[in-house]
Amino acid sequence: MEQVEKMPNVESETQKSKSLWVHAFNQLIADPFAKFSFIIVGLYALVAILSGLEVIAGNWDMQFGDGYSAPSLKHIFGTDLFGRSVFLKTIKGTEVAMSVGLVTAVISMIIGVALGATAGYFGGKIDEVIVWFYTTVTSIPYIMLLVAITFILGKGLIAVYLALGLSSWVNLCRLIRGEVIRHKDREYVHAAASIGASEFTKLFKHIVPNVLHIVIINFSLQFQVAIKSEVILSYLGLGVQGRPSWGTMINDAKQELAQGVWWQLAAATLAMFVVVLSLNILGDALRDALDPKLKGKK
Amino acid sequence: MSENQKILEVKDLVVEFNTDRGLITAVNGVNFEVYRGKSIGIVGESGSGKSVSALAIMGLIPNPPGRVKSGIIKYHGENLLDKSVGEMRKIRGNKIAMIFQEPMTSLNPVFNVGNQIEEVLKLHQPELSKEDRHVKGVEMLSLVGIPSPEKRYKEYPHQLSGGMRQRVMIAMALACKPDILIADEPTTALDVTIQAQILELMNKLQKDLGMGIIMITHDLGVVAETCDDVAVMYCGKIVEKSDVKSIFNNPKHPYTKGLIESIPSFDSTSGAAKGRLPTIEGMVPSLFELPEGCSFQDRCEFSTEDCRGSKGSPSLTKVNEGHKVSCFNPLQ
Amino acid sequence: MVPILLGTCFIIFVLFNMVAGDPTQLLLGKHATAKQMLELKRELGLDRPFFAQYLDIVKSAFTFDFGRSWSTKQEIIEMIKIGAMPSLTVSIPAFILSTIVSIAVSLIVSFFRGGKLDRIMVFACVAMMSISSLAYILFAQKFLAYELGLFEISGYEPGFPYFIPYILLPVLIWVVLNLGPDVRFYRTIILDEIYQDYVRTARAKGLSEKMILFKHVLKNAMIPIITYVVIQIPFLILGALLIESFFGIPGLGGITLNAINSSDFPVIRAMTVLSAVAYIIFSVITDVLYTLVDPRVRLK
Repeated sequence: MEQVEKMPNVESETQKSKSLWVHAFNQLIADPFAKFSFIIVGLYALVAILSGLEVIAGNWDMQFGDGYSAPSLKHIFGTDLFGRSVFLKTIKGTEVAMSVGLVTAVISMIIGVALGATAGYFGGKIDEVIVWFYTTVTSIPYIMLLVAITFILGKGLIAVYLALGLSSWVNLCRLIRGEVIRHKDREYVHAAASIGASEFTKLFKHIVPNVLHIVIINFSLQFQVAIKSEVILSYLGLGVQGRPSWGTMINDAKQELAQGVWWQLAAATLAMFVVVLSLNILGDALRDALDPKLKGKK
Repeated sequence: MSENQKILEVKDLVVEFNTDRGLITAVNGVNFEVYRGKSIGIVGESGSGKSVSALAIMGLIPNPPGRVKSGIIKYHGENLLDKSVGEMRKIRGNKIAMIFQEPMTSLNPVFNVGNQIEEVLKLHQPELSKEDRHVKGVEMLSLVGIPSPEKRYKEYPHQLSGGMRQRVMIAMALACKPDILIADEPTTALDVTIQAQILELMNKLQKDLGMGIIMITHDLGVVAETCDDVAVMYCGKIVEKSDVKSIFNNPKHPYTKGLIESIPSFDSTSGAAKGRLPTIEGMVPSLFELPEGCSFQDRCEFSTEDCRGSKGSPSLTKVNEGHKVSCFNPLQ
Repeated sequence: MVPILLGTCFIIFVLFNMVAGDPTQLLLGKHATAKQMLELKRELGLDRPFFAQYLDIVKSAFTFDFGRSWSTKQEIIEMIKIGAMPSLTVSIPAFILSTIVSIAVSLIVSFFRGGKLDRIMVFACVAMMSISSLAYILFAQKFLAYELGLFEISGYEPGFPYFIPYILLPVLIWVVLNLGPDVRFYRTIILDEIYQDYVRTARAKGLSEKMILFKHVLKNAMIPIITYVVIQIPFLILGALLIESFFGIPGLGGITLNAINSSDFPVIRAMTVLSAVAYIIFSVITDVLYTLVDPRVRLK
């Protein structure tokens, strides 16, 4: 991993900001895959919001009939053990997935950027301590970290947010640190200092915008990793409680498959597949558009 | 060895690149010849097409995005552009060798120097035994003036200075005694003193081995020191071609004149002594929006209506014996 | 190394000894009396000062004396000794096979970079990564093992060669799960090298694209690849957590999972310490391996 951060970034000068962002956006829009993925993610977000506002799928826990009825025109994804619509559960699960993705990515972004920028910018002892801290965190297996945090916080959605967020910031922190180190001695930063910018202004107003592309790329990556991790937490019995999520639905399939009930697994997997794939494609497109170093290698 | 034996002839070479912003013609109808034991300098700013011409001779134009659209590269009577990939590989590094601008990164960091030299021999002279290769490799290192070659042989590129690395590159390129050596800015990345040493070495080796050299550079100083002939390139075309003396004494193209004048010198008649170093005004036009007519018109103090397209593009025309220029208003 | 280990132990200590709630409550249930809880605390050594507890964790990183499990009362080190073998019989073959397959595939796609095959494979990798690992396991167990009977559904028998039929499907799933992310990573590394100057030199020497890729590029790419591969090794123990539990393999993953389900802190802590120690050891090994492939490090 070290190699990656040491690689010189060909064009990350200050003036890149505007034109690069505009250029990147145009490139993104020109790529039909990326555009389509963007729309899909938007649709999922819309569904999640509507579900959160109880506009749709508010009646997910209603019993519609027999348990485990196979997919039909009435219930396109069939029903679960309690006769609840798998379709509505999937929608309700979208709310959990999207919120888990968003909140986790935000938490890990805040920690990663704050620590990474501080370490890279101030260097010296502060840097040593932060590097020591994240190396220490890396040495603990991800799953154990998740488990420990959920033990502390108890079970539930908030615990899932925090467990995933607090255990996933290291990579971003490392990247930001490397990038800030590369930027801090550039002329534009000295120029800012010479007109009396404070350390804080220099760091957050002048340097951070120049490493923003890494944050954005990482954000889309973190988003989908969190959605996938929610499934693992559910399997470990540490996931969300009392409401459907894709994780709990997939986890339920452990018992269901033996009885030939596949639709709950299929619905949750499909819903997850589409959004995670879209986020992946979007992440790749963002990387190609924002990180000129990698251009032409796709 | 007969004098003036033509070993390579480039005729009407056109190379195109497909870019994000559309098609560009990086090399547009270039002609030049390489003679045994002689050096031709190809001079121009970055983007003038000089390196692309060299890569075309090597058959190394990255495709896509680039491709040789038309032209002939005649080597010993055969057109290299008609050769198969396999045939070209037998020529590259063997008959036609190339060295590059970046000696720091052009050697593979994880193989030792000897290994990298022997690799060429193994490839092109498979009849040599392992011992023979070793002997020859060490010989090459001493030939390019590397002290204690036996010891250096086992060293890795990072243990050598830039100048040493360029010497290793030269040793590698000359290992199979090529007919032609293409040197793409071989000294640009080096210190001035090292630069002179490397150029001197190349001159000496050329005399010993009798190869033709294509010296690609943006530095007319390098040309003056090493070349017999010069071709000046601008925006994908050769604008002036002559022997090295005539071009320095009597440049015909305003661009060439500008280049010569902008060479810093301690000579009191020009440059530094008189104050500011003269420069060529303006910028090289983008290959996407080349003007009609002469590409140099916007930067040229002598340009007239003729240059702006009414008479088409200027073509390379003979002005003196062995001196051609592509200009409607050549200097006297 | 030592500061890292001390730090890791400290985090483990903070997580499990200081803030993870009162374990005696968990163990005794809601109706425990204060006296019972106090007794249990003394029995488990939880009434001792924090510093002593922290020191125990640090010590255990060297002595592997992790104490006894709260739920099974076994010596944890004995549990680990028993569980290690089944775990390793799955994870080692799986890891080796998956590394070879992923590197091979990424070399092939790099060779045909920009072409159809490359683009299809890159997309396939992303698509494969977009499916939950749980879904893979459930699907494979249900259809490949149960319906088609190609593999054992679950179970394990110790001893060579008896365990082989039981590890086939877990190994296959492991390879498939890792293919997407690994190929993407290796491909990026290899392509990073393909655009270096020394590759141009190799071409100018007349080498074929195959020779360039397999000799020049691969040897350079090995440097980051080795880091990536070696640093995964310490996580092999727990990496198979899901697979082990689904296929009823009585390994460390299963032990960890039971410990999580029963809030068996000493066992979870032991597994975490063990992984962290392994991580630190393997970081050192990575540094040593560097010197074998990278002459620039060797001579520093």
